[in-house]
Amino acid sequence: METRTQHLFLTLSRRAWLPLLLCAAPAWAAEEPTLIEPDVRPVAVDEALIDTENFEVGAFTGVLNIEDFGSSFVYGARLGYNLSESLFVESNIGFAEGGETSFEQLAGDVELLTDSEREYVYYNLNFGYRLLPGEAFFGPDHAFNTNFYLVAGAGATDFAGDNRFTTNVGFGYQVLFTDSLAVELGVREHMYKIDVLGDEKTAFNTEIRCGLSVFF
Amino acid sequence: MCDIDSGFDNSVALSTAPDSKPGAARLRIVAWLLACVLPLLVSPALADDGRGATADLPRVQVAEPYVAWHTGPAAAYPVVRVSEKGEWLTLVRRKTDWFRVRDRRGREGWVHVDDVLLTLDGAGEPVTLTEPRFDDFSTRRWEAGLMMGEFDRAPVTAVYAGYWMTANLSLELWGSQALGTASEILMVSGNLVHQPFPDWRVSPFFTLGYGHIAIRPKTTLADTENRDNPMANAGLGVRFYMTDRYFLRAEVKDYKTFTDRQTNEEATEWKLGLSIFF
Repeated sequence: METRTQHLFLTLSRRAWLPLLLCAAPAWAAEEPTLIEPDVRPVAVDEALIDTENFEVGAFTGVLNIEDFGSSFVYGARLGYNLSESLFVESNIGFAEGGETSFEQLAGDVELLTDSEREYVYYNLNFGYRLLPGEAFFGPDHAFNTNFYLVAGAGATDFAGDNRFTTNVGFGYQVLFTDSLAVELGVREHMYKIDVLGDEKTAFNTEIRCGLSVFF
Repeated sequence: MCDIDSGFDNSVALSTAPDSKPGAARLRIVAWLLACVLPLLVSPALADDGRGATADLPRVQVAEPYVAWHTGPAAAYPVVRVSEKGEWLTLVRRKTDWFRVRDRRGREGWVHVDDVLLTLDGAGEPVTLTEPRFDDFSTRRWEAGLMMGEFDRAPVTAVYAGYWMTANLSLELWGSQALGTASEILMVSGNLVHQPFPDWRVSPFFTLGYGHIAIRPKTTLADTENRDNPMANAGLGVRFYMTDRYFLRAEVKDYKTFTDRQTNEEATEWKLGLSIFF
């Protein structure tokens, strides 16, 4: 008898509590606004915390064809600054070594230039324009930003005993693996006036290079 | 073959010239240093997967109806996503006028600075960024630039850095190289610059300078005596504000070289270039 009374009492009390619980539920939810609003502290935007990456520093290697003096391994460094999403300025320095002219090869023991005069150093300052921004896809999961750019500028070439005013034009294709790291393939045409082989003429030196650069 | 024969005579004289390439060795050291430093720079660049510490990065709330996300930091990249009003975005990094943003789900894209300037910060205030504007053209202290032109009919390349002591008066340090058919000319000089109308978009200026000029005749010429002399210059030009932090600069300078011979030498130079203020 006692258990029956207990059973009735408990059943009633459960049914009475249930509506109360249901009423309390919304009130409890309203006290926890963090579920809806993200936890944002009232702070102003501090620009110093944002990493700006407008500078580029890099190294490159390639092949430089020195007019009349054969093709040579070339290496160098490049510093760039991005003025806008399209425009940039860059400075290059490159090192190579002139080979023998065909005359030297045919004549045997004739040396037109000393060893130090065969050292080829060029440096320049260029303006560049990113012409075709795009994306390259590597498999279904990876997309890399790319761009095709044109450059033109002027500088100097120290070769064959003199430092010569040199203009250069070129283009390149750059692939950004991350926002900070890029590889590029480029071609540059270097032009200067030279009279080492008699009459003064304009030498056209073509450089094909690949480079690695880091944005900072 | 004819060309080569005549060139042979020419270059015999050339090869007897003394070897003077101290600059080449120095530049080579610079390149090697760079080659050593680059891997150090590359490793953090590779490790950077775009999900660094988010806690410290600034966050902004979209206040306009929507903000467009591009796949890359240029207007030409396609819009792949939009953030609606009220969404919070983390500003991860900046490239020129573009911000890489990250949303709550960790997705990332690029938003233009003009859109970021329309968002609100954590305190509910409009975001302020120090975007260089025309107003800064006359108030910023530092400037640097690259100029090209002609010095006495030889192509000249010059770099300079300047500090504005007042809105009107600046002190500049110049380095120039002119490569002519007969000689290579190197110049360094300090210049005082005065601009009477600093608030003008096209601002004229006058300049006076004093420095040093080194003339190295070409090795193919008979007279190979190097000449180092003091030099003074006076000039005038204009600074023309373009956009952002960039301005064009054009100038003409007259140089007087003080030699120990009977006469002093004079030369005229004009240059055109691009400068940046900081």
